[in-house]
Amino acid sequence: MSPPLFQRVLIANRGEIALRVIRTAREMGIESVAVYSDADRNALHVRRADHAVRIGGSAPSDSYLRVDAVLAAARESGADCIHPGYGFLSENAGFSEACAEAGITFLGPSADAIRKMGDKVEARRVADDAGVPLVPGLKDDVRDDAVLIEKAAEIGYPVMLKAAAGGGGKGIRIVRAEKDLLAAASMARAEARGAFGDDRVYLEKFVTRPRHVEVQIVADQHGGVTAFGERECSVQRRHQKLVEESPCPALTPELRAAMCEAACRLARAVDYVGAGTVEFLYSEGAFYFLEMNTRLQVEHPITEERFGVDLVREQFRVAAGLPVCEAPEPRGHAIEVRVNAEDPDNFFPSLGRIRRLGVPGGQGVRLDSALFRGLEVTPFYDSMLAKLVVHAEDRDTAIARAIRAIREFRIVGVTTSMPVAMRALDSEEFRSGDYDTGILERIDRRPSDKVLELAALAAAVGKFLATEEIPVAPSAASRPPISAWNLLDRAERLGRGMR
Amino acid sequence: MKYFAKALDVERSFTFERRNGSLLVVRDDGESFVVDLSPVGDGGAYSFLVDGRSFDCLLEREQGTTVVQLLGERVVVAIQDERELAAQRVAGHKGGGRRAIEAVMPGVVVDVKVAEGDTVEDGQTLCILEAMKMQNPIPADGRAVVARVAVKPGDVVAGGDLLVELDDAPEAEEGAAS
Repeated sequence: MSPPLFQRVLIANRGEIALRVIRTAREMGIESVAVYSDADRNALHVRRADHAVRIGGSAPSDSYLRVDAVLAAARESGADCIHPGYGFLSENAGFSEACAEAGITFLGPSADAIRKMGDKVEARRVADDAGVPLVPGLKDDVRDDAVLIEKAAEIGYPVMLKAAAGGGGKGIRIVRAEKDLLAAASMARAEARGAFGDDRVYLEKFVTRPRHVEVQIVADQHGGVTAFGERECSVQRRHQKLVEESPCPALTPELRAAMCEAACRLARAVDYVGAGTVEFLYSEGAFYFLEMNTRLQVEHPITEERFGVDLVREQFRVAAGLPVCEAPEPRGHAIEVRVNAEDPDNFFPSLGRIRRLGVPGGQGVRLDSALFRGLEVTPFYDSMLAKLVVHAEDRDTAIARAIRAIREFRIVGVTTSMPVAMRALDSEEFRSGDYDTGILERIDRRPSDKVLELAALAAAVGKFLATEEIPVAPSAASRPPISAWNLLDRAERLGRGMR
Repeated sequence: MKYFAKALDVERSFTFERRNGSLLVVRDDGESFVVDLSPVGDGGAYSFLVDGRSFDCLLEREQGTTVVQLLGERVVVAIQDERELAAQRVAGHKGGGRRAIEAVMPGVVVDVKVAEGDTVEDGQTLCILEAMKMQNPIPADGRAVVARVAVKPGDVVAGGDLLVELDDAPEAEEGAAS
């Protein structure tokens, strides 16, 4: 066996992605260093890593977002490389730079590439120069109200206002008529200032029936760029993805090839190194550049399942100077369902302790999660608990498999978004493959009558068994067995009485 | 004794009968089922057999409601027996009146959209609560007058904390007295 590419990787992240990196590192003979906040002392990534270093308080700004604390942990633990995961410091150019200065390999692109792609205005300019199609819009922030009104009219309503430094759906406003434009612009600026400390917004055409399709690329240090096909991510609510699939059912082979080619051109234009994702809007046979995410994406496993690659392994390999692998022939269809701790009706976050956990399994089912029984879901971090990924020979089977796996997945202690994902998967619109980013607003959220009738029956049976009178037995010999239900309810009554 | 269950718009009542060691449920529409609800461990998981059809389900029993998870769905069922229903009828219906709008989750108040004395419509945003990177508008639960605003932008609130108190709006359209 050849020596490992790196000695020790520090993962500047938490949750399932930290665990994801630890797993591949271990398989490659690379030791892992977890960092953790106070809230994450018992988290699975801490327990599964080879080393663990506390980096601060529970709020992200006191721990996972602290460049100094993360770098100090890397030095203290002797890490020779850092994996940033997604979110937190993953797209922070200053962090990439600080790693380079500290002599620690950053498993991601250069600070320059992060800066260019992280600034949406600059990214559009670079994409335009690289011949990547853009949505009609303005390349610069416009502060003059009169000019903004004039330009919006030129582009044609509806238009969209987006934060220059945005991401994850923050700071996006859709404007359908001129009368709403200025108010929306000031709201978008306020939200952008609050979220990113940068209030620049830009204007672009709001594309009808848009689909969100993205291309996975990995680039090496020798100019080699490989595209690993596309992912379809149009099942979103409030611009947060809920279900992703690969391949995209709308793409023809010609469009797919053109899209992959465009993504590779963009990566070369910024001398990109590492894993990255180029996001496109697809609408009625055309595609437009949205943005490039200079990190591993949440939904990368569906690409891995189809192509039979380990993208984290590729990240390690290209960071060590090896050439990126060729894309193998993709196989079958993959779907990812994000399982978020939130109310399925209003999407409010749901907090609490995981009291019971039953995970799905069987053929073609992969679960990337940091869940365990006893986990406290706190308000400090993202609400995503797990990623349920399925792979099957064709799309219909993959949909059936995803629904089957959701039905097996049991989480008690917090409510999750799974029922919404299931109904989206089960909808005519999703099954037809002809859907767009509005799908979640259109699907029927009501459970079927069959489910409601069964639930009513189950609840009634539960109540009956719990409150059923316990017969007074004349003697111990003829006393009927007392069910666990009776005992439970008696205990509850006693508990109530004592309060 | 009768049991009354309501799952969204599906309302049912059930009676139970033990017969030869099995449990028979009769629904108000005359349908009857032989059921067996068997607890699995102590976490609220059950194996539920209905006329031999098998459902793996979870029941979380709370006061007056049971949260049922089965077939990948989660349904909140309002459940009462005859005695509880009678007791509730005696207590009488409370109606609207002065009521508290509470934070449904912990978070930070980023905006307050109303002031005391404002008349608000059903669903109108009272304030915006940010939690887990998401901005969540908190709506009025009906047409009402804002009796008190308990928070200001920047306040950190825990789940269940008072945000706004509402009172019934007068039926007649009147000019706001100041």
